[in-house]
Amino acid sequence: MASLDITGVDKRYGGVQALKGASLSVAEGEVHGLLGPNGSGKSTLNKVMAGAVRPDAATIRLDGQDLRIHGPQDAHHHRIESVYQQLSLIPHLTVAENLVLGTEAARAGWLTPKAQLVEVDAMLERLSPVLGGGIGPRTRVGSLNPGTKQLLEFAKVVLRRPRFLVLDEATASLHRDQVALLFAMVRELTAEGVGVVFVSHRMEEVLDLCDRATIIRNGLNVATVDVKDTDEQELVRLMVGDLARAAGRGERPAPSRDGQPVLSVRGLQAEGLADVSLDVHPGEIVGLGGLQGQGQSELLTGIFGASPAQAERIEVAGDPVEFRNPRSAIAAGLALVPGDRASEGLYSVRSIQENISTVTLGRRARAGLVIDARAEKEAATSQVDALRIKIGALADAVSTLSGGNAQKVVVAKWLLSEPRIVLLDDPTKGVDVGAKAEIYAIIRDLTAQGVGVILNSSDDVELAELADRVLVLYEGRIVQELEGTDVTHDNLVAAALRISDDDTKES
Amino acid sequence: MTTPPQTTVGAIRDGSWQRYLTFSLSTWVTIGLLIVVTALNVALQPTFFTTYSLTSNFATFAPLVFAAVAQAVVVIGGGLDLSIGSIVALASVVALTVMDGEPSRVAIGVLAAIVTGVIAGAINGFIVGVIRLQPLIATFATNSVFAGAALVVLPKPGGMVPSTMTTGYRSLVIGIPVSVLIVVLAIVLYWLLSRTRLMRHIRAVGGDRSAAFASLVPVVRVQMASYIVAGAFAGLAALAILANTGSGDPFVGSSMALDSIAAVVLGGIALAGGRGSGIGAVAGAIILAMVSTVLSFMGVPTTWRQLASGVIIVAAIALSVVMSRKDQR
Repeated sequence: MASLDITGVDKRYGGVQALKGASLSVAEGEVHGLLGPNGSGKSTLNKVMAGAVRPDAATIRLDGQDLRIHGPQDAHHHRIESVYQQLSLIPHLTVAENLVLGTEAARAGWLTPKAQLVEVDAMLERLSPVLGGGIGPRTRVGSLNPGTKQLLEFAKVVLRRPRFLVLDEATASLHRDQVALLFAMVRELTAEGVGVVFVSHRMEEVLDLCDRATIIRNGLNVATVDVKDTDEQELVRLMVGDLARAAGRGERPAPSRDGQPVLSVRGLQAEGLADVSLDVHPGEIVGLGGLQGQGQSELLTGIFGASPAQAERIEVAGDPVEFRNPRSAIAAGLALVPGDRASEGLYSVRSIQENISTVTLGRRARAGLVIDARAEKEAATSQVDALRIKIGALADAVSTLSGGNAQKVVVAKWLLSEPRIVLLDDPTKGVDVGAKAEIYAIIRDLTAQGVGVILNSSDDVELAELADRVLVLYEGRIVQELEGTDVTHDNLVAAALRISDDDTKES
Repeated sequence: MTTPPQTTVGAIRDGSWQRYLTFSLSTWVTIGLLIVVTALNVALQPTFFTTYSLTSNFATFAPLVFAAVAQAVVVIGGGLDLSIGSIVALASVVALTVMDGEPSRVAIGVLAAIVTGVIAGAINGFIVGVIRLQPLIATFATNSVFAGAALVVLPKPGGMVPSTMTTGYRSLVIGIPVSVLIVVLAIVLYWLLSRTRLMRHIRAVGGDRSAAFASLVPVVRVQMASYIVAGAFAGLAALAILANTGSGDPFVGSSMALDSIAAVVLGGIALAGGRGSGIGAVAGAIILAMVSTVLSFMGVPTTWRQLASGVIIVAAIALSVVMSRKDQR
């Protein structure tokens, strides 16, 4: 039987080894689930098959023949087609133009769309019950909602008549009827002998659709199982592993939660968030858990006034506040250490000193205008020492630092403003172990001084180690709260995955 | 499935006449501006629609029309070409030298202008697409290179264009001025181009480069091709200039790059790429050219004319950009 086998896949992004010898084997006519916790390398593996990412090493075999896939066109040549997690529709083109993009029929360069339009019409007809009204081949894609776009993305790939089809979170924005239709179409494809790789964060979808499943963890294969013979608990156990995890929060006593919260948020609404409420007490670390992209970052930037959000009420130490922009949040004693330090946290070509002092520039300026160079240097030096940032000179550009040290510069610049509440958005992503431990120490020092911390982390081990309490988010809502000794790695992964689907899947 | 075979999901069916009237807001702005400047022109110059007046007006528009279509192709593909003017200058002096005033060499001169444009476009395309320099910087630099090359070919204005070209350009064919037909030719050429796979891909790359890459569009090749097509249109612009002026001038294209960008914006093409049509750029070029005729007929003193035309263009561009922002929502 024909199969697509990909073995020995290594891929390193900077300092992070995303895949180390991972493999996947998909047979004709099966739906093969690809499972793993956050950051296990699922998407990277899919992108290697699609030709969107060049692996450091990999062997790809189709029907026993070695293949080279250097780009999406090579994959297409072998009829391996992918729906990416990031959509690939062009907003200004029409539905029909998008559906045939890259595979347009043409004679001597001139488009001959007639025959293809028949196929496009048939596809839209098939999807029409769940596509939403008023969508025809000439509709522009830009204004459509995410679910519709995702269906079109699926349709586009199916129109290319794949032999192997990779669906990476292809159901993430779909509501139930749309998922049902997509599943029906996938089953028709497998009946015709198409092999499908299926990634979804909804466990019941995996259990419903997949014949086999491969579980990867930290870029390595853990197991391949028959889904029929496996239950949910077993899959979760395989994803988490039975290894005893780092021993929780250590000796630190849980902070008192009797007094007034330093930050209180009620009914926060924003893009990707629905009615979130939370309290943070002085000295407390509140973790945000769950799968990646369930609204954690949006929650932090929404509180901070960095992205549009409406809240019924936000109070800082009992005083009602309203943050329309980060400046007002900073004035109230908040600080946000962003996750994407390259684009939000640092001016990479500017000096370390300038980077550290930006947020608090106003305080050291003479008469609000002239920067006091000596005061600035002293402030920067004290932070560099306190945080043990390894630098050449304060005047060096931030781009000369390693990821861990660059992240410490981001932390340093915010701590200079002496915040009462610190929001951390995945502060140790792509940071090496040593720098991680130091950032943990900084966070613990902060809480010892009575600062309230909200920590979003894609690393469940990190949450288990640091957080006093973890709010688990799923599709923009807080669906579970873990506290004290319940904050363990296993509980976090289980909470992220084993959410009942009934009340969350509405569009 | 037991639904009728005909797809009727869209509000307006494919092929129906209404389709041709469903313009975006920015297209309506372009049409509106075109009507306003034409009306002003007609009011101030009652002879506007006489064949003599049409001939001379369109003879002056035509070079900018082709340059604007060239710019449109590049801008729709997400790029920018500041060297269009120098390509026009270079192509014109090369063609002039090749023809050497001989009516028998007109065909070879036409070929020389287009080939020169294509080669210059290929150089731009290589630098932007393969070496991946910023289009602004890359074409700013090649602008100097092509302008310098034009000076080497023809150090000072002069030379003689074959008389068949100049007289033909101002003649009539079945009662229609040739210069009008040439502007129509620009529209037809763009219309043909818009039906190619290449132009579809240019729009896709300009709309979202990485999505186009993921959708099997050969992004680098497409980007190069957009500059090459632009070079070919610049070659046609060069021929129109030669036919209009009757002699060669190495400095002829100096204001054309910015004029063509203004025309593109007036034509409702987003500078961000992916959106708009070369036919809009034709309208934009005509609007731009007519603004200056309107000003001269209004009796605005020459010293003030450039200032006034600048202010009007800023206002018109602002209007069309504001409207196209509404389109996006």
